[in-house]
Amino acid sequence: MVEFSPAVIDTIIRAAALLGAGFAMIAGIGPGIGQGYAAGKAVESVARDPEARGNIITTMLLGQAVAESTGIYSLVIAIVLIFTI
Amino acid sequence: MNPGPKILFYLFGKDFLPITDTLIVGWVSVIIILIGAKYLTTSLTIRPNGKQNVAEFIIEIIYKQIEPMLPGEGWRFLPFIATIFIYVGVGNLIGVVPGVTNPTGDLNTTLGLALVVFVVTQYEGMREYGVWGYIKSFAEPVIFLLPINIIGELAKPISHSFRLFGNIVGGGIIITLIYQAAPFLIPVPLHAWFGIFVGAIQALIFGMVAIAYISVAKS
Repeated sequence: MVEFSPAVIDTIIRAAALLGAGFAMIAGIGPGIGQGYAAGKAVESVARDPEARGNIITTMLLGQAVAESTGIYSLVIAIVLIFTI
Repeated sequence: MNPGPKILFYLFGKDFLPITDTLIVGWVSVIIILIGAKYLTTSLTIRPNGKQNVAEFIIEIIYKQIEPMLPGEGWRFLPFIATIFIYVGVGNLIGVVPGVTNPTGDLNTTLGLALVVFVVTQYEGMREYGVWGYIKSFAEPVIFLLPINIIGELAKPISHSFRLFGNIVGGGIIITLIYQAAPFLIPVPLHAWFGIFVGAIQALIFGMVAIAYISVAKS
């Protein structure tokens, strides 16, 4: 059984927290795909019906904002891991 | 480097009522809005000219967002929604000035606004269906969904506030990092993107999501 000094344990905890922050941001994939999909569909709709452009863009932005939530949660978790530990 | 509000001094002695920089910038933006509103609405006439056009333009943009989602009640909700739009908008755009922290980059500000929207949402739902009818609507379509519906309702102010907070703080962290690496000329387009574009879009979305929550509670 190896005994670690408190400084080493602190360093390990900090390293684990920073790694965890990096892993948390993997969640950024989800909003990326979701927002891109919404934007692509909006482009298709504007191409089909250019008159409804304003409504489509408003709806797209609202949907993208909701899709972004999960990414923002992971960002907040990453910030907490980096700056409080 | 530490994101979020910094405590500048304490009102009333040690450890009581801390005054943060975001709080002071929040007060400054309230004063800016008050002076701007007073300036834009002095000497109103039937035929608008100059500054009155600006005021009518702002109000019309906000009104056009409310009216399609809450039909017939645009004017009733306009003061509430316009307050959120204008305060969040000024709070986001004031961060373009270097060295000024956004008041919306503080979870206290955004959570406060989101809780106000939450209370208004519940009130409007009860006003539409009656208190008992509104509470019963959580147990639809089957009674098993009651806890899930309640958690979903309580998650709304959390996601609403964290979305604005995360966007503004994330942009602020990236700009701070770039300032440490390249302090001249390179941060300017980043300020344009994170300060003006993301700030304006997020203010629009914060208000639109508030309208959407109210309209969901009423339908």
